[in-house]
Amino acid sequence: MADFDPLEAEVDTWMKQFAAIDDRPHGLPDPGALWVKAKLLQSQAAMERASRPITGIQIAAYLLVAGGWAALVTWKWSALSAWINSFTPSHIILGAAGAQTASSLSLTFVMALIALASVTVMLAFHTILAEE
Amino acid sequence: MTADGLILQAPFALQTATFRRTPKRPMDEAKFEAFYRKTAARIWSYIFRMTGNAATADDLLQKTFFRFLRSNPAIANEDHLRHYVFKTATNLVFDHFREIRRHHQHTVDVPVAFDHRHRDELRHDMMRAFAELKPQERALLWLAHVEGSSHEEIADAIGVKGKSVKVMLFRARKRLAGILTKRGLAPETRHG
Repeated sequence: MADFDPLEAEVDTWMKQFAAIDDRPHGLPDPGALWVKAKLLQSQAAMERASRPITGIQIAAYLLVAGGWAALVTWKWSALSAWINSFTPSHIILGAAGAQTASSLSLTFVMALIALASVTVMLAFHTILAEE
Repeated sequence: MTADGLILQAPFALQTATFRRTPKRPMDEAKFEAFYRKTAARIWSYIFRMTGNAATADDLLQKTFFRFLRSNPAIANEDHLRHYVFKTATNLVFDHFREIRRHHQHTVDVPVAFDHRHRDELRHDMMRAFAELKPQERALLWLAHVEGSSHEEIADAIGVKGKSVKVMLFRARKRLAGILTKRGLAPETRHG
């Protein structure tokens, strides 16, 4: 292909005429405002990057606590269901009549329950306070 | 001939252009404002001609300068910075068109008249003619003929090989000339 493009001059003239048309309907954004907004966006992005590991740890904590509750309930399911059933009218009547009802929950279970409940509450408070 | 504040022997000049040992001095607000006042109008015109919509041009202009500032540009010569900003603007415009295609919009925006001056019709005709070109062709012609960019700068801005630009420009000019002739906007037909 030849180096010389016969259309170059014609297109150049037209493009320059086209570019010379002033068709901006209003002024340009203020550079000071752009600068401030750009810096704000940059610090926002930096904060998000910094908080990503914390968010990851939070999610892991939620999963651990949920897993803890699931394990606790599974471990003592029979005792728990018996304890819940003890509140039914028939069991109350039997209990009042002196009949043997469900066995009580062990101290270990109660302590595990208290510990897990405390962790859950602490995690919930941490999330609320972090949001604020 | 010196690079900015740096006097080098010829064989080493290219090396330093690639491996900049001088620490980056980020742009401060005053320098940004000066650079902005020199280039923003041209960038806006470029984006407007590419997209055909003033609101889109406003939006993409802001995004261009946000990206520019986020990249923490080092103070180099203004031509280098101007080229970088045009490259950023071009990428954003191409992203904009990809987004439009994704939403199955096949028509290119053509500006609604916002003034009633007598040359409005000519402006519309010129915009419509330009809008018939593909986005890449528009970018090529604008950067070459309006901004006076070199083939290497154009290649970098639109993401093609340097050697392809000459052929692409040749084809783009041919296409535009055909469109102008068809619409009666070619310089000879308009004034003849």
